[in-house]
Amino acid sequence: MRFKGVAIGSLLMAAVPVAASNALAQNVTVAVGAAVGSIDPHYYTLTPNTSLDANVFERLVETDAQARPMPGLATSWKLVDDRTWELKLRDASFHDGTPFTAEDVAYTIARVPTVVNSPGSFAIYTRPITGVEIVDAHTIRLSTANVYPLLPTDLAQLFIIPHKLGANPTTEDFNSGKNAIGTGPYRFVSYKPGDRIELERNDGYWGTKPAWQHITYRMITNDAARTAAMLSGDVAMIDQVPTADIARLRADKGVSLWETVSLRIIYLALDQGRDGPTPFVTGPNGEILAKNPLKDLRVRQALSIAINRPAIVQRVMEGAAIPSAQFLPPGSFSYVPGLVPPPTDIAKAKALLAAAGFPNGLKITLHGSNDRYLNDAKIVQAIGQMWTRIGVQTAVETQPWSSYAGHATKLEYSVFLQGWSISSGEASNPLRALVATFDAAKGRGTVNRGRYSNPALDSLIDKAVSTADDGAREALLIQATRMAMDDVAIIPLHNQKNTWATRAGFTYVPRADEETRAYDLRPAN
Amino acid sequence: MAVLEKPVAAPRARPREQSPFARIAGDFAQSPVAIAGLVVIVVIILLAVTASLIAPQNPYDLAQLDIMDGRLPPGSSSADGLTFWLGTDDQGRDMLSGILYGLRISLIVGAGSALVAGLVGTSLGLTAAYAGGRVEAAIMRLVDLQLSFPAILVALMILAALGKGVVNVMLALVIVEWASYARTARGAALAERAREYIEAAECLALPKWRVVFRHLLPNCLPPLIVIGTIQVARAIALEATLSFLGLGVPITEPSLGLLIANGYQYMLSGKYWISFYPGIALLVTIMAINLVGDQLRDVLNPRLQR
Repeated sequence: MRFKGVAIGSLLMAAVPVAASNALAQNVTVAVGAAVGSIDPHYYTLTPNTSLDANVFERLVETDAQARPMPGLATSWKLVDDRTWELKLRDASFHDGTPFTAEDVAYTIARVPTVVNSPGSFAIYTRPITGVEIVDAHTIRLSTANVYPLLPTDLAQLFIIPHKLGANPTTEDFNSGKNAIGTGPYRFVSYKPGDRIELERNDGYWGTKPAWQHITYRMITNDAARTAAMLSGDVAMIDQVPTADIARLRADKGVSLWETVSLRIIYLALDQGRDGPTPFVTGPNGEILAKNPLKDLRVRQALSIAINRPAIVQRVMEGAAIPSAQFLPPGSFSYVPGLVPPPTDIAKAKALLAAAGFPNGLKITLHGSNDRYLNDAKIVQAIGQMWTRIGVQTAVETQPWSSYAGHATKLEYSVFLQGWSISSGEASNPLRALVATFDAAKGRGTVNRGRYSNPALDSLIDKAVSTADDGAREALLIQATRMAMDDVAIIPLHNQKNTWATRAGFTYVPRADEETRAYDLRPAN
Repeated sequence: MAVLEKPVAAPRARPREQSPFARIAGDFAQSPVAIAGLVVIVVIILLAVTASLIAPQNPYDLAQLDIMDGRLPPGSSSADGLTFWLGTDDQGRDMLSGILYGLRISLIVGAGSALVAGLVGTSLGLTAAYAGGRVEAAIMRLVDLQLSFPAILVALMILAALGKGVVNVMLALVIVEWASYARTARGAALAERAREYIEAAECLALPKWRVVFRHLLPNCLPPLIVIGTIQVARAIALEATLSFLGLGVPITEPSLGLLIANGYQYMLSGKYWISFYPGIALLVTIMAINLVGDQLRDVLNPRLQR
């Protein structure tokens, strides 16, 4: 009976039902919740794309599950002088058999800025590199214009491709598979946009042998359909487990959950760029205020301490997050020890508002997306409840991300929900992107949509990113983070948890950077 | 004049002293199902009108909601003693109160948009039929254009451009719906246009607007009333669809469609009540309106007269 079911199942569906004990277990299907848009590893700095690429390609510097750097295609790296890094390269070979050498690194660094029509370029990670010197086949030197201690962190974002691809390899040739040649544990076979990617084991992989012969990497973007595929056993693993289904899956003996705190911070941005009235904050009776109340620290503090973060985490996120008062989750490089969310205090929040000159409260329209971050629309509604209790009458407006993002980028909102994935795993990234004074030319404050500006903080950030010593740099980053948070530059809410579900009989290593890697999926013994 | 305005289609077989309204009421009452539908509609309207008096909670007042009461099953009690007879949604909103207030929004949007669309569509349809020529061609091609797009697509595009809100939803529904009234009105008016009483009115040199609205319109009403009831039900369903897709009413003031959407993702985890009860309310409302509409069609269509 069981065998018949399996046989019919495999006839009906290309995906073969999986069970670890089954003889067919060499074939595994993984379902991801976000569509992969391209196989070209340098096309778009988008997590769903890099997640797939991480199965096929490798970086010089890899990161462990908690985003700490570790050797990848480079076995070691060190500073030979102030501005020059020397990297020793690993003995590895590409899927087509050609050995990996320093020439491939130079080729990749040159190729990255030339990708045509890239919606989000990886050039931000190659721009600091001003010189490339091939010492021998397995040694390369990279130089930067200034002291730049973050180079290894940047290299941890760059996938290496073989120089054999020649001049100007096109994104289309990556998607067709012609150019999709990496050194990773799995070899690219085929790509059906919006549906699936087929991968085959790379038997010549330098590391531990990959566990599965064949991987089907399916895209199931509908949350309920993905959960249903997991429950029915159609797939061995899903990512982005919907929070509403976590309790149900946890109770199912046939399913295991794997979760870790992610590097994504969910926060509220506050308009501090306008001195005069800000469009969506008025007096309690709708009267236009001459001055933007969000410029007043006491108002920002009141809004922050009115929010019951544990309640949001427990009720809205169903435990799939941790309350936060800074950028990074505990355990990260430059996490500020002891900086935890303030206890919710309605009386104190009201007193702060009164001291700021608003004893009768305020009227705020809070904006959020409704399809981008986990439970985004519910989070803003819950905050609406909490603010109404301190006398801030809150209207909540949510929109699909496609239109919301446009308005937010044009700085049309006063208070609005944002998320930021700190891919580098340390605080210089959010400090420079989210709270540094906006300066497009310097690449500072590029996502600072509240236009918070604090010269003291800016100079502290400058000092931190040009400090080579890790300990000293961490101390400066901690100091800068504390300064931004004491000033309520943004209102951090929580760090999301990333959750994967596998069938029982598998183990998985959940990653903070949201990447779904078939290599980390193994049979439990 | 009074004689001229009498519907010429009044069946001769009926006793002369019975007014058209009494006849319609009598015919309508012959179907117990339709009577039941009418009773349900009256009850629903009463519930919606008195929602703020009878609902245990004001579900639109964020201060009355507590997220800690979220997703409680039917019959649970809140921390401060309120019983949630139909459970709560993820924001701690009492589902019973949410449904009562949601019915109000659904009915206002449905009836309001059907009425405005009816006024606009009927006027244009009558104008087209009476004026003829280029005016007719222009109006009717616009109708064709409008009807060739799927209603939900047009409404989605309008709301994407205008943004959310009850007024915008009504506006979108009016734009989607007016064309069916225009087409029906024109069809009926073309038939009536050739009748003698219109000719007589024209011979009296009455102003054109008067011929159209005092003489032509009353005789085109029966099919329009039928279309009207069907369109109310359709508008309610369309509003629910738009809200379900996240483009309708504001999330803090949910209509039935939005209440259903809120619970949709909890269906797999067994928290059925968040979607189920508003779904039942929507179903009953639309079914009652359709039952009444069907019977009205039978009664008002002379060809189906027994």
